[in-house]
Amino acid sequence: MNSKTSDAVVLQTSKGRVLLAVLLAFILAAVVLTVFILPAEFNRDPLGLGEALGISGLSQPAAISAEKVRKEEGAFHQDGVSFQLLPFEFVEYKYQLSKGSSMLYRWTATKSRGGDASAVSFDFHGESHEVEGYEESYSEGEGDHEGGTLIAPFDGIHGWFWANHGAEAVTVTLSTTGFYTESLEFRDGFVKKQMLK
Amino acid sequence: MLTLMPIFAFAHNISGANARFVEGLDGPAVIPYMYLGAKHMVTGYDHLLYLVGVVFFLQRLKDVILYVSLFTLGHSITLMGGVLLEWNVNAYFIDTIIGLSVAYKAFENINGFKQIFGFQLNARAAVLIFGLFHGLGLATKLQDLSLSADSLVINMLSFNVGVEIGQAIALACIVAVLGLWRRRNSFQKQAFAANTVLMSLGFILAGFQFSAYLWT
Repeated sequence: MNSKTSDAVVLQTSKGRVLLAVLLAFILAAVVLTVFILPAEFNRDPLGLGEALGISGLSQPAAISAEKVRKEEGAFHQDGVSFQLLPFEFVEYKYQLSKGSSMLYRWTATKSRGGDASAVSFDFHGESHEVEGYEESYSEGEGDHEGGTLIAPFDGIHGWFWANHGAEAVTVTLSTTGFYTESLEFRDGFVKKQMLK
Repeated sequence: MLTLMPIFAFAHNISGANARFVEGLDGPAVIPYMYLGAKHMVTGYDHLLYLVGVVFFLQRLKDVILYVSLFTLGHSITLMGGVLLEWNVNAYFIDTIIGLSVAYKAFENINGFKQIFGFQLNARAAVLIFGLFHGLGLATKLQDLSLSADSLVINMLSFNVGVEIGQAIALACIVAVLGLWRRRNSFQKQAFAANTVLMSLGFILAGFQFSAYLWT
């Protein structure tokens, strides 16, 4: 049965040394587990030391999802509008979004006659309610479509300015969904506010 | 799945991108599975610690080969048996036993069984038996990958071959370092402390995996 002696150098140990080694190994393991591993990995903190060291819940999924999920009280809305722009006409259409709220959007611009894609000038931007007169442009240029997601960087109205610099009438069609509450249409010097249901 | 991610990230599993890659493969994939097997072994601290314990006092190459062959026999049986017979063992539970195997080997190395119990299980038999548990652990990792049935055997064999290659690479390093260490006069004294630390690491691994078994 006792083959070990033939294979290996056996340490000259005594019962007392072995017991001490086991005790030390066990205590070290127990300390590492209760102070570090249990609080950090399993959110269990029997001694409260994990809390004191600030490692409790290090691996809690809640801590991760808090950055990725923003909870909203109200329902989200959907909106679809289209505008016909004659040559050199322009329109602005915006939504009220509070800081951090998001909106999905997609717009296309087509020739009113025939329906082929037709580029317009656009400026997707926001106007702050927090700082008087502050505006920020998110995306601007020439194009016949754009889609994406906006997470409002501040409380304010956020939306598009579209201008038709071409020689033919263009129809801009926008559809959005998001946690906005109202829309505002600026056209020909008038503002048309609409509460969204 | 998301809630388990932090634990999986820490536990010794085949990691996300690697797993998605091989799951996306269809049919036999010898080299990818071989690579995964080797990587799993080389980066697997639980298997490595056990191997350190096994070869710690083995001076002759003949003994190293004998013990490691027994370990290889053990883990190959249960790796292939576990996958082919679709044994559904809990990975955390098996990893707890693997942690305890490290502590067992360290305890054996300091002659604990004879000093305290006056009896010792044959060291070769113990290596073979714990090899069986290590193989079950390997099987659970491979089963996580949801292998496609048509090329199961070839992929599993590739993984197993990879495990042995990885083991050979790791062992070469371990044996070389231990050989240098053994030549120093302080080895005998440090060997006792090193095995105490090894035992503690075994307890920590076991405690960690058992906590995961209980709470995830």
